[in-house]
Amino acid sequence: MDFQFSIILESIPTLLEGAKLTWIITLLGISGGMFFGVLAGLGRIAGTEALGEKPHGVFVPISFLIQKISGGYVETVRGTPIIVQAMFLYFAFPMLVKAIMDLERFRIEALTAAVITIMFNAGAYIAEIVRGAVISVDKGLVEAGMSLGITRFQLISHVIGPLALRRMIPPLGNQFIISLKDTSLFIVIGVGELTRQGQEIMASNFRALEIWLTVAIMYLIMTTVLAVTLRTFEKRMKMF
Amino acid sequence: MANIIELKNVCKSFGNIEVLHNIDLTVEEGEVLVVIGPSGSGKSTLIRCINCLEMITSGELLVDTIRIPHERNRVRQIRLEVGMVFQQFNLFPHMTALENVAFGPHKARSVSKKEANEIARDLLNKVGLAEFENKLPGQLSGGQQQRVAIARALAVNPKVMLFDEPTSALDPEMIGEVLDVMKQIARESGMTMVVVTHEMGFASQVGNRLIFMDEGRIVEEGKPQEIMKNPTSERLKEFLAHVKHH
Repeated sequence: MDFQFSIILESIPTLLEGAKLTWIITLLGISGGMFFGVLAGLGRIAGTEALGEKPHGVFVPISFLIQKISGGYVETVRGTPIIVQAMFLYFAFPMLVKAIMDLERFRIEALTAAVITIMFNAGAYIAEIVRGAVISVDKGLVEAGMSLGITRFQLISHVIGPLALRRMIPPLGNQFIISLKDTSLFIVIGVGELTRQGQEIMASNFRALEIWLTVAIMYLIMTTVLAVTLRTFEKRMKMF
Repeated sequence: MANIIELKNVCKSFGNIEVLHNIDLTVEEGEVLVVIGPSGSGKSTLIRCINCLEMITSGELLVDTIRIPHERNRVRQIRLEVGMVFQQFNLFPHMTALENVAFGPHKARSVSKKEANEIARDLLNKVGLAEFENKLPGQLSGGQQQRVAIARALAVNPKVMLFDEPTSALDPEMIGEVLDVMKQIARESGMTMVVVTHEMGFASQVGNRLIFMDEGRIVEEGKPQEIMKNPTSERLKEFLAHVKHH
């Protein structure tokens, strides 16, 4: 077996193009995922004492509804494979829109579909991370905050939030890395991310060892950057 | 003196279990009311109902000028006028002693950060912890934490202070320093206080009135020394005998 280092050097520019796209999908995806995650995570425990004052009057059915919607979202996403979600969004969803809205043409860019898929997918898992961290905050601390007469918003942003955030970082790091690696699945909808680029070079020169080794190392570098960033963030927070 | 707290026919249930039965109670401005009773008698629930950490199931509650359940949306207003000290201190672990105390006035009373810090320094000084302002709760002893917690509740400038077994989680040698701070508040500021405690010495020295609770009812009520000397009910006699032995 001959291992040719020159093959690696030749393939690097193209693979870096793919890696760049992988980064873009990941960063946009997990940013959106954080947004949906916090929303759905808090939504799933809306109206419980984990978030302070229990609701009364009309807020009882409203928080029940919010809980059900958030729960439905999380369970749907967790219960279906991400590759099916991507295919649905890229191939099936446009057909649905065309039929319902009676449109001639409607399509979603593969890259857009990839970003949205990661957003919704990561969002569901992050929601569980958020929920778990929030309900683990000592109930006494929530009551102490309430007893000072602060608003619910202040309670969440200054007491529950900061305390929950510390517990969220390790599992969030996990999820960010999983989402980054999940972008390789978008090979099926033709997004030119790292795995796709590797596959294409492979198909033309059949140098599996050199190409997949390089691809693997590139993923490893990217996941390491994510992990180190989060660890730095964790260290810089005031611990107790 | 005007009543600052009134409970009329108050019941509180958790599910099917009724823990407070038809409680009638008034607290006058400036009064120090001590609540004693065996565990599970409903004394903690009683004071947690006053600042609406527990919502009463039926009956009426008046705190300052706010009536519950009619003005349920003004619960936050009640909490601004009623400070609370917890058995487990419950200091915010991510904030220093100073930040813990300044938090209430700054956020709940919208006092400027600078002014809130001054209020906080002043109160930390009063509870004898001026030099600990930059410590995190985890770096303080139980007694010190509880004194910071008292300062934190006072910082919002409440009219009433509730103490829920403030010394029960403390090592014996730290109970004194916390009780001293509470005595000082009662004597110097004439603060209205409702104190759930097992400290009978504190009750007789500082309390103006004492209630004994058992199984969700107020069984006896009167001047602390008199009640402790001449308990009328069997249950209070029994309870006092137990407490004195420890």
